[in-house]
Amino acid sequence: METLQGILSAHPFFHELPTQHIETITGCVSNVRFKGGDVIFNEGEEANHFYLIREGKVALRIHSERRGPLTILTLHAGDILGWSWLFPPYLWKFSARALEETRAFAADGKCLREKAERDHDLGYELLKRFAHVVEERLEATRLQLLNVYQDQ
Amino acid sequence: METATLEKVLEEHPLFRGMKEQHLRTLAESATIVRFEPGDVIFEEGDPAHRFYLIRTGRVALQLVSYRVEPFTLMTLEEGDIIGWSWLFPPYRWKFTAKALGVIRAISIDGRSVCASCDEDHDLGYELMKRFAQICENRVEALSVHLVAVEK
Repeated sequence: METLQGILSAHPFFHELPTQHIETITGCVSNVRFKGGDVIFNEGEEANHFYLIREGKVALRIHSERRGPLTILTLHAGDILGWSWLFPPYLWKFSARALEETRAFAADGKCLREKAERDHDLGYELLKRFAHVVEERLEATRLQLLNVYQDQ
Repeated sequence: METATLEKVLEEHPLFRGMKEQHLRTLAESATIVRFEPGDVIFEEGDPAHRFYLIRTGRVALQLVSYRVEPFTLMTLEEGDIIGWSWLFPPYRWKFTAKALGVIRAISIDGRSVCASCDEDHDLGYELMKRFAQICENRVEALSVHLVAVEK
């Protein structure tokens, strides 16, 4: 059987991450499963985890006063979900809901944050990767915004 | 401005609050003082991105420009704000256009040189990535809110 460590090191997010860091992260990770329609987290709630989606589909939503929840992005297998555990106030800025049966690895963000704070080699590697994920999300949102404006 | 003076200016900037003296010195070595006149384009969407800016005085419009729409301002940045993070990741091109709305005094920092320093010194890398990832996250949030407001 494939080990958790083996699976994590094969994930693009952890590409070229030294083995000792993969081991540390493995210690903070567990397997989770959501049914279609399950809320993974809600905007405003305390953010303690991030997820590596292994299978399924997740809608990232933001609440609009006017129109209720709006999906801004759909995430799939291989995508990373959640980074609000990285920065104060450690609250989710978005809501996430499983659109179908979803399997993921959940990593304990608080556990990782503490380890990163103690070991800046790990911290740098992790932050570099998360900064990139956030930047990609920014790019996706920018393109959506351009689309909306071009349609008007 | 001498490196020592620049170091002092950087130290007082909210982005670098709490950073070690040696790290500030490293940053100061890659920093220069710049000034822009009202209407100046600081950088343009699509151009190579190698620097970032700390605004000391004045207001900067961060705009989305595309061949089909009139440029529109997504947000206005001012004293204490940072502009630019596209130097962090491939393809190292600006995703937005930054335009001076008044006289701008800023510090311009060479991102490539900072990246090289981060790779050598993970303590510096960790501190900087933490800060930049958070700025990027704030932008994602601002853009998402904007998107929700304009989407039909």
